[in-house]
Amino acid sequence: MPGHEASPAGGPDSAAVHALAGASAPVAAVLDGGDVQAGPADRSGLTLRSFWHNRRAMSGVWIVVIMIIFCFVAPLFYRTNLTTVNLNLANNPPGGGHPLGTDDFGTDVLGRLMVGGQSSLELGFAVAIASTVLGALYGAISGMIGGVIDAILMRVVDTLLSVPTFILLLIVASMYSLNLLTIIILLSLLSWPPVSRLVRAEVLSLRTRDFVHAATTMGATHRRILFRHLMPNTFNVFIVTATFAVADSIYALSALSFLGLGPPPPFADWGTMLTNGVNNLFNGYWWQVYPPLIVLVLTVLAFRQIGDACNDLIGGHRGVVVKRRRRRFGLLPMSTRYDDGEPLGDVSLAS
Amino acid sequence: MTWYLIRRVGQAAAVVLGVLILTFILIHNEPGSTARAILGLKATPARVALFDHLYGLDKPIYQQFVIYVKNVVHGNLGTSYQLQQPVSTLIAERLPRDAVLLGISTLLALVVGVPMGIYQALRHNMFVDDVLSGTWFTLYSAPDFMEALLLIALVCVQFHWLQPNFPGGITSVGGILADWRALILPVVVLAINTVAGFSQYARSSAIQQLAADYIRVVRAKGVPERLVVLRHLLRNSLLPVVTILGLSLPDIVGGAIIAEAIFNFPGMGLLFWQAALSHDFPILLGTTLIVGVAAVVGNLLADVAYGVLDPRIRYART
Amino acid sequence: MRKTHRLAAAAAAVSLSIVIAACGNSGGKINTGKAVHGTPINGGTVTVAEVGVSPNLIFPLDPSTNSNGYNVNLTEGMWPFLVYIGDGASSAVNPQESLYSSLTYSQNDSVITIVLKPWRWSDGVPITSRDFTFVYNLLKANYNNWLGYTPGLFPVDVKSVLTPNAHTVVLDLKRSYNPQFYTDDQLSLIPLLPQHAWDRTSQNGKVGNYDETSSGAKAVYNFLQKVGTKMSGFATNPLWQVVDGPWKLAAFNSSGYYAWVPNKNYSGPDKPRLTKVEWTPFTDDTAEMNTLRSGTSLDLAGVPANDLKQIPQLEAEGYSVFQVPTPGMAQILPNLWPTGANAAAGPLLRQLYIRQALEYLINRSQLVSKVFGGYADPGNGPVPVSYGKQWDSPLEKAGGPYPYSPAKADALLKAHGWKVVPNGISTCTSPGTGAANCGAGIPAGDQLQFQLLYGSGTAAFDQQNAAIQSSEDAGGIHITLKAEPFDTLVSTTGTCNQQSHPASACNWGLQQFGYIPYTSDPSGAGNFNTDAIGNYGGYASPQMDRLINATEYGSSSAAFFAYEDYAAQQLPWLWIPLQSGVFVYKKNLAGITPTDPFQATLNPESWYYTKPAS
Repeated sequence: MPGHEASPAGGPDSAAVHALAGASAPVAAVLDGGDVQAGPADRSGLTLRSFWHNRRAMSGVWIVVIMIIFCFVAPLFYRTNLTTVNLNLANNPPGGGHPLGTDDFGTDVLGRLMVGGQSSLELGFAVAIASTVLGALYGAISGMIGGVIDAILMRVVDTLLSVPTFILLLIVASMYSLNLLTIIILLSLLSWPPVSRLVRAEVLSLRTRDFVHAATTMGATHRRILFRHLMPNTFNVFIVTATFAVADSIYALSALSFLGLGPPPPFADWGTMLTNGVNNLFNGYWWQVYPPLIVLVLTVLAFRQIGDACNDLIGGHRGVVVKRRRRRFGLLPMSTRYDDGEPLGDVSLAS
Repeated sequence: MTWYLIRRVGQAAAVVLGVLILTFILIHNEPGSTARAILGLKATPARVALFDHLYGLDKPIYQQFVIYVKNVVHGNLGTSYQLQQPVSTLIAERLPRDAVLLGISTLLALVVGVPMGIYQALRHNMFVDDVLSGTWFTLYSAPDFMEALLLIALVCVQFHWLQPNFPGGITSVGGILADWRALILPVVVLAINTVAGFSQYARSSAIQQLAADYIRVVRAKGVPERLVVLRHLLRNSLLPVVTILGLSLPDIVGGAIIAEAIFNFPGMGLLFWQAALSHDFPILLGTTLIVGVAAVVGNLLADVAYGVLDPRIRYART
Repeated sequence: MRKTHRLAAAAAAVSLSIVIAACGNSGGKINTGKAVHGTPINGGTVTVAEVGVSPNLIFPLDPSTNSNGYNVNLTEGMWPFLVYIGDGASSAVNPQESLYSSLTYSQNDSVITIVLKPWRWSDGVPITSRDFTFVYNLLKANYNNWLGYTPGLFPVDVKSVLTPNAHTVVLDLKRSYNPQFYTDDQLSLIPLLPQHAWDRTSQNGKVGNYDETSSGAKAVYNFLQKVGTKMSGFATNPLWQVVDGPWKLAAFNSSGYYAWVPNKNYSGPDKPRLTKVEWTPFTDDTAEMNTLRSGTSLDLAGVPANDLKQIPQLEAEGYSVFQVPTPGMAQILPNLWPTGANAAAGPLLRQLYIRQALEYLINRSQLVSKVFGGYADPGNGPVPVSYGKQWDSPLEKAGGPYPYSPAKADALLKAHGWKVVPNGISTCTSPGTGAANCGAGIPAGDQLQFQLLYGSGTAAFDQQNAAIQSSEDAGGIHITLKAEPFDTLVSTTGTCNQQSHPASACNWGLQQFGYIPYTSDPSGAGNFNTDAIGNYGGYASPQMDRLINATEYGSSSAAFFAYEDYAAQQLPWLWIPLQSGVFVYKKNLAGITPTDPFQATLNPESWYYTKPAS
């Protein structure tokens, strides 16, 4: 995505744009302050079942599960001393009790990979959850209230969106020394604006639907409408933004470390291990570079796959759900590829 | 439409002010004293006071902000502490270079990425699509600096085909374009991301379009596939791409920090990074402001373009 | 040449009679003087890598608000100092390159007679004593705004300046000084400036004798300061084209890149052979190393500690290697300020035996070999061992008073009533002020732990400090590490006496942020005497003050050794290894070595390309 370079944490680009492509609300409704007429109501193809059958999504999920086991369960069996520094053992290649060799401090790379992965995954999940919750609440409330307050709230969001995340991150990192918690808070604060916009757009479009009118007529309060009717319907958006937030936050931290502004030792996560190892790339210490690179890319890839697959599903394209017909040349006729009927199952949970 | 524009510009101005306030507060909450950070360990209290007075740091913060805004309106973005040059001069020097670098990579994204994305959409769920998607996805998911360094290791160190360092003496756009070989590597690194992004985006958009009724109608009418693609699919898939183009403006203006850091390209990104490392606040503030303005302008342009290009969208008045 | 912490003092780079051993006694594998076989040729461009360097002022006299230590790199080749230091591998004064033909102290070392060489400025005008008085007048009126000013010294210590003829200057000082000290530390700060071109108050104004009045001198100084910061004019403004050094500035841009071309009218002996010298900036080591490894565009560059392993590959690429000791000291600063803000660590650190235990537990030789690849001074005391006979006391040469010894540290702590818990928290079991007690201000049960604050972003420091933490831990002293961006560190700590800082900023225990460069003679003046400007930790001792005084105003070696040994033992700072500079240069480039620490890689007038011997 454009902006990947200057703002690897995603900013307005990654999550918002991915969701834009797949989400049913017209693009303009999200870009603008919501002055556009809402488009056709969505009918999402994202259900538990369609997800389960989607190969891309499931492959992503399996990778994530393996990573979680690798980071949280494996250290219980593979114990290493990650605190004592022993320079005599520094930078040893794999062998002699260290399957992936040692790093600059003489600590075991494999052990550090596992424990570092805990930080990466915790960072990713925490930021995803926090930013999604914050953004959803903000966007939903703003969408429900409407009017001037909505305009003001959205201007605040616009302000935050106008400055690429990475720039703000750099400024803060240059002043304070960071630890995991500070980074989580920081990245969450920088990641929620796109979510709020998307949620607001969804809320705006859903507001006009019949079931909401019905609920209002029956005397439901704003809060009830919000939580029981609107939020569940916006769930699709959450999945997409959350998965991208995980990937983007892990990535942002590694970029920060590369620029010399990441959390200092003894903090270790895949990104910092990678950047430290990269310094040693030309020294020939390949075991410090490729293992963190592989796990990092796999994990980021997995989350993005999940998000992307959900995106596709939301848009109602279940091409991968039905059996694939592989043909090298020409196109399959439209009518046999796309189902123009109702999606299988409906995501609106309650009425 | 004009009323809409006026309102949007007003909103844009409010956002820019918000950006200013945000960055100002952020920067002035630095722990410790700016003066001592710049002057070093041996700064005597007298020198610190001199510095503070020189840069107006001894005034209360709201006063500093008012002075800053007044200056900005007059085109004065302050003076860099470390380089002792007006920030506006520094930015004016560097923006054109970034325009070249990122302009080329965005151009590549448009010229290579969009057609590829549409091609993929036409081959949706076939092997080609999977392979291309997978490749772009992986490339996009790998950290930029890693891709850059591996590229350097291969192209520069192993084979000595190119130099990884942008020549220091070249500053003008003309000079940059004349020594285009030095641009190859940074552009490739940036293009990996822009092409991946644009192609995926065009692909999703085209897929969505392909499912629409009008495509079926057009096909049912017997229009040859080539014309379906060129005359109908392309144009409609491009609309959201225009959006993305507008949203890329802040990144063109903000420079590519990591690519510039690795290849030593003297653009906005490098300036920003150096300023972050050396606590050079005027530069940080100035750059953030410019990028914020670019984001707002980009957004506005994208919206307007979208409204102009898509006759279905009408902008309601509130 | 890392940006790391070259402070303003680096500007006064020269020393009279330090003799540096030609080969560093650490590292071993690298020579400092490899003969190049081949015929010298004229011409060629040399591209030098500079990491973290960004000069911002071209006027050679820095104001006190501008502590950018790299401005001198830019100006030294164009307006050299009166006294030039660096003669081959030794840091002796180089009379051929200096601007004086004789320098005599008389009247009990309180009058200096300087005879200038009959050299000319690049525009043909002769260099005269008027140029000296021009500088003197500017500094006299503006010394409070001059970075090189040390209170009490030049120019306020000058009673009068006489110019009996066009080439003689007689300085009458208010008191006598050690000639070595004064030439080293004071005369070496003075460049000669072209009065006939710069004595004006505006760009197009007439040249006059404005400097002869105080207000005029202020106006001229301010004007030159102001125009001296306009980067767009560095290479084009005619003012800066009037030079007396071997080089002129041909190009400069705000990214830190600048190019020198020879001053065709240079009167000195070492006329440049090269056509151009390009100084290419890099923000960090990675980009520089990548370019080095790619083999062609850099002709001279430093090799960071982390990448020393790649030297064989670089040699295969066609580079030669040399190392040069860094003139300065590396240290861990203990906070000894008695301000009360340093409540937890202060009383502990003020006990000498605790500092000794801390020092005993630092495995300096392991740090030298593992972190710095062998290319570092071992840190035996306040003076690097490479400084040579004159300055290295026998005690320091023998390894200093505190070689690595966990046993001694353990014994010391136990003897003072500590319950030592390796890899845990040691506690004081015998409070009190007696010989076998913990010491004043240390209550029972007090924990032996400190926080080490250091500048982040350098892999070698991360490694070094983690290793120190581990070895201290093994000896029962618990250290927590905290890394901050260097500028944040400086802005929140720094000199910490009651007048300069609020108590909240004096809370640090131990700090490590690089090294303190030595100016000329490596005396403790300015670092260890009470309330000195560089005394960041607040060490105060009348005995130390006396010994330092004796070195400044006397001239005996014994006095210097007495100060040196006392400082080594007293540990006002904890001594740690100081990395040497390791450089690579293209094989067909000659004249770069042998070189001395103060001129290393800064004197391209000595360099030339050679045709390989056939």
